[in-house]
Amino acid sequence: MILNGTFTFNGPRQKVWDLLQDPSVLAKALPGTERLTMAGPDRYEGVMKVSVGPMTAAKFDVAVTLGGKEPPERFTMQIDGKGAVGFARGSAAVHLQEQPDGGTLMDYTSDVQIGGRIASVGQRLIESVSRMMMRQALEALDRELRTRIDADPSGS
Amino acid sequence: MILRVVVNGGNREAEVEPRLLLSDFIRQDLGLTGTHVGCEHGVCGACTILFDGEPARSCIMLAVQADGHAIQTVEALAPDATTLNPLQEAFRDAHGLQCGFCTPGILMTMSAFLRDNPAPSEGQVRDALSANLCRCTGYQHIVEAVTRVSRNALR
Amino acid sequence: MSAETLYVNARIRRNEDARLLTGRARFVDDVRLPGTLHVAFVRSDYAHGRLIKVDVSAARQHPGVAAIYTFADLGDYGRPAPLLVPPPPIPGLVFHSRTHRPLASDKVRYVGEPIAMIVADSRYIAEDAVRDVVVEVEPIDAVVDLEAALVAGAPKVHEDLDSNAAARVLQRKGDYAAARAGADAVIGRRFTYDRGAAAALENRCVLASWDRQAEELTIWDTTQAPIPIRNGLAARLGLLESQVRVVAPFVGGAFGPKIMMFYPEELLVPWASMHLARPIKWTEDRQENFYATTQERGQLHDAEMALTRDGRILGVSDTFLFDTGAYDPYGLTIPINTQCTLLGPYDIPNYHSEFTAVFTNKTIVTPVRGAGRQHGVFVSERLLDIAARELGIDRVEIRKRNLLGPDRFPHNHEIMFQDSAPLVYDSGDYLPALEQAVETIGYADLVRRQEERRTGTRRVGVGIACYVEGTGIGPYEGARVTVEPSGKVRVATGVGTQGQGHYTVFAQLVADVLGVAVEDVQVVTGDTREFQWGTGTFASRGAAVAGSACHAAAQSVREKILTLAASLLGAQPGELEVAGGRVSVRGSADRTISLADLAAKANPLRGAVRPGTEPGLESTAYFGPDRGSTASGVHAMVVEIDVETAMIEVKRYLVVHDCGRIINPLIVDGQIHGGVAHGIGNSFYEQLVYDEQGQLLNASFMDYLLPTATDVPPIETAHRETPSPFNPIGLKGVGEAGCIPTGAAFAQAVEDALNIEILEIPLSPNRLFTLIQQAARR
Repeated sequence: MILNGTFTFNGPRQKVWDLLQDPSVLAKALPGTERLTMAGPDRYEGVMKVSVGPMTAAKFDVAVTLGGKEPPERFTMQIDGKGAVGFARGSAAVHLQEQPDGGTLMDYTSDVQIGGRIASVGQRLIESVSRMMMRQALEALDRELRTRIDADPSGS
Repeated sequence: MILRVVVNGGNREAEVEPRLLLSDFIRQDLGLTGTHVGCEHGVCGACTILFDGEPARSCIMLAVQADGHAIQTVEALAPDATTLNPLQEAFRDAHGLQCGFCTPGILMTMSAFLRDNPAPSEGQVRDALSANLCRCTGYQHIVEAVTRVSRNALR
Repeated sequence: MSAETLYVNARIRRNEDARLLTGRARFVDDVRLPGTLHVAFVRSDYAHGRLIKVDVSAARQHPGVAAIYTFADLGDYGRPAPLLVPPPPIPGLVFHSRTHRPLASDKVRYVGEPIAMIVADSRYIAEDAVRDVVVEVEPIDAVVDLEAALVAGAPKVHEDLDSNAAARVLQRKGDYAAARAGADAVIGRRFTYDRGAAAALENRCVLASWDRQAEELTIWDTTQAPIPIRNGLAARLGLLESQVRVVAPFVGGAFGPKIMMFYPEELLVPWASMHLARPIKWTEDRQENFYATTQERGQLHDAEMALTRDGRILGVSDTFLFDTGAYDPYGLTIPINTQCTLLGPYDIPNYHSEFTAVFTNKTIVTPVRGAGRQHGVFVSERLLDIAARELGIDRVEIRKRNLLGPDRFPHNHEIMFQDSAPLVYDSGDYLPALEQAVETIGYADLVRRQEERRTGTRRVGVGIACYVEGTGIGPYEGARVTVEPSGKVRVATGVGTQGQGHYTVFAQLVADVLGVAVEDVQVVTGDTREFQWGTGTFASRGAAVAGSACHAAAQSVREKILTLAASLLGAQPGELEVAGGRVSVRGSADRTISLADLAAKANPLRGAVRPGTEPGLESTAYFGPDRGSTASGVHAMVVEIDVETAMIEVKRYLVVHDCGRIINPLIVDGQIHGGVAHGIGNSFYEQLVYDEQGQLLNASFMDYLLPTATDVPPIETAHRETPSPFNPIGLKGVGEAGCIPTGAAFAQAVEDALNIEILEIPLSPNRLFTLIQQAARR
């Protein structure tokens, strides 16, 4: 499954970058995340519950490894999710660009292979569910970004 | 959970796990193996029973959903151990079954359908049958059986 | 054949129906044994990978789990399953046998391959425990596309081989190159033909019970071949054949994959029962069925036909790839059927057919109703249609010009059939069948109105396809017929029954010979305790082979009846009549005895039984035909297509079929209807969709579409009979006839309606829409 897109954050790039490196923020933003913690430098591990069509609350053990870091502009991720209903593994690349109005344009590309039972029953829904989860996550991150900016309007 | 359900006219009571499927309850706990499981996701219709008189897919229901309700299975159709009811006779006469696995579900669906539509056209029969899958017969003899019994009933 | 034929060709109601209609019929999952433990499998989520670790320690702790087995626990029992069908001795044939192990050892080769078996108090608990098993797989790129699989450097499904080629076979007749050189027209195209899941409504189920005291193993199995299963399992488990009983009770449809034998589950469930000394049951669920039960899939053909300008076929050349899946236990039955069936009812003097079987990281491929014949028929019928168009000859006319005439039998095609005998058509009369189909479907009128049919949003097309089908092959079957002292007759035979009406059809044959009512003949099939010798139900051979054995055994019992009755009634056997359950002296109403009394007298408690005679009125007979007999037919269909939605409606479907002598026309019609429905499914609704990593994307009936009652039209059937010379009754097979030429007829009809070229099956609204768009742009 290829999932590419763009999103505009309402805040400066450095703040967006910091947000994306914080697992506790990501854990709250990404729908269905029960736990996401640092397991080592540039490595997160956790548990997510995902619902795709007839498969509700499918639990996945997730490991994410960051790489190719060029702060605050870009990084890549290797994603490895495994559960009783199947697996999801792939990679994603994130690129952040400062916008003239003070916002940050993020564009992301990802290629995730879905396998096992979830691939065979949820097929038609996987892409739309993934997009929806992505949108919810990014909007939640944007809200957290604004909260942080309001708390510290100096922009540092 | 205690489950109280009327099965083929008789009261039954059982202790069941909440997650037990109604189809498994019927087949395993009640020992009524005439209801068959073909897909466990509500598409093939082999598990069709009558739930308060209406066709329902027992494979996508939980047994506990039947608490306080009445269900009928294929075992309730024949009047006694040596006789078939008119619908069953018509299936036999028209060769409306081959392996017989989908048949109980189809009999239950058609029983309710004929009760509500005593004189259906072939098109109406096919529509009513379209949610029950059969891999053996190609449906033709089934449609013939149903139209035959409705014709006979009207005489 | 007895002079009076009461029951052959009679529309007799089936003996077995009362049980099936009341829900009393026993299917394997209905069998309840006290103390049964239930099985769930941990299956591979990856199509291809190295199996690094299987950790069942947490799962073992799960309450209610009795045992968990992985490959490490199997010892020698983990060795690969046997090769079921060694390929026939075709010169130059290359074949690499690679069969599955009961559980994956070091590699996984298809999604769904079993990795561990969990045995627990219930299926619910076993499935819970599946989640606690930790499986680590190092993924390898999956081999999915047939051509990509053969490119140098592609990952290898079986790493000890040089490539993913499982087999290479060339069969030849005459000299195609010379024929091509002298041809006026050469038509060449690439064709793809995909099949799908058999999708019997009953999933597979195995229940095994090891009786430790009696040292007997009883296995209920949804198999089409109880006797070979018994023999193979006994050997593998170190038991005598007589210690193992395999019962296939009522089986809810089979269509081929239930004669795949020694599935992992079939090997492991009995083994576990012996280990745990408990009854063990595994019931497949529908999603599992899409991975764990075999299926038939695609072939890719580059084919060419050389013709004269008046449409006479000079030769055919065909090079194709065949997808065999991750392992090849069933040998080359399917592609060899393709090679043979391509020749059809036509006179093809020169033929070059070669194929490569390809290993892929997908479910194992074994025969599904039709077993590769569809692919061959599609290629030759499409080539003829395209040739007809290019040469300006009518489609039906070009076929007529090439049909083998009735004086050409037996016709030896000089290539080898799946039963290792040369492909010989024994009997047939093709032209009248074609003419009948053409007449009945109203072909001439439809052709006249072609321009009108191809305008507007709803376009109508007609398709006509001919085919020939080898049926009724050996090796043999047997039957035992017994007249009991009640006067009822018992027939036991080794084949199984999955809806074909054996309980009635065999009864009809025997009832005729013994002069009893059909309802008084009780048939037992599929139980190795009842009958020990035979192969199984497959390849459209039940009536022709097992039926002939029933008939032969009945004839032998009839001889005993006449001999004994003659001595008791003081008459000559030639003076006796056998009818209505009695034996009587012709013209002498008082000199009569019932079969019941005769049976009792044949088994005396006192007195002597003469040496050289057998007690009772019982005989066992075997029947093995020299070769299979050739059934044939013509399908004609009219299809209406909405060019805006690309949805189709089959307006008419007609089958003219020759299956030799018919025993029960109702049952024959039923077989044809079912086959046609399956063929319609294969042509337009069904397709197994795999992604580039070998993931099956539609493993449910939500997305794998079986045709429903509104998708299958009423099917018109007409029967012709050219009796087979290979069995006394003249029977040929009919089980697969309905689905063999359907794709070819479909493609022709769609082409006719839309004036576009169709080189593939299945179609679908999406695909059809794309083809329509592409044609519009040209």
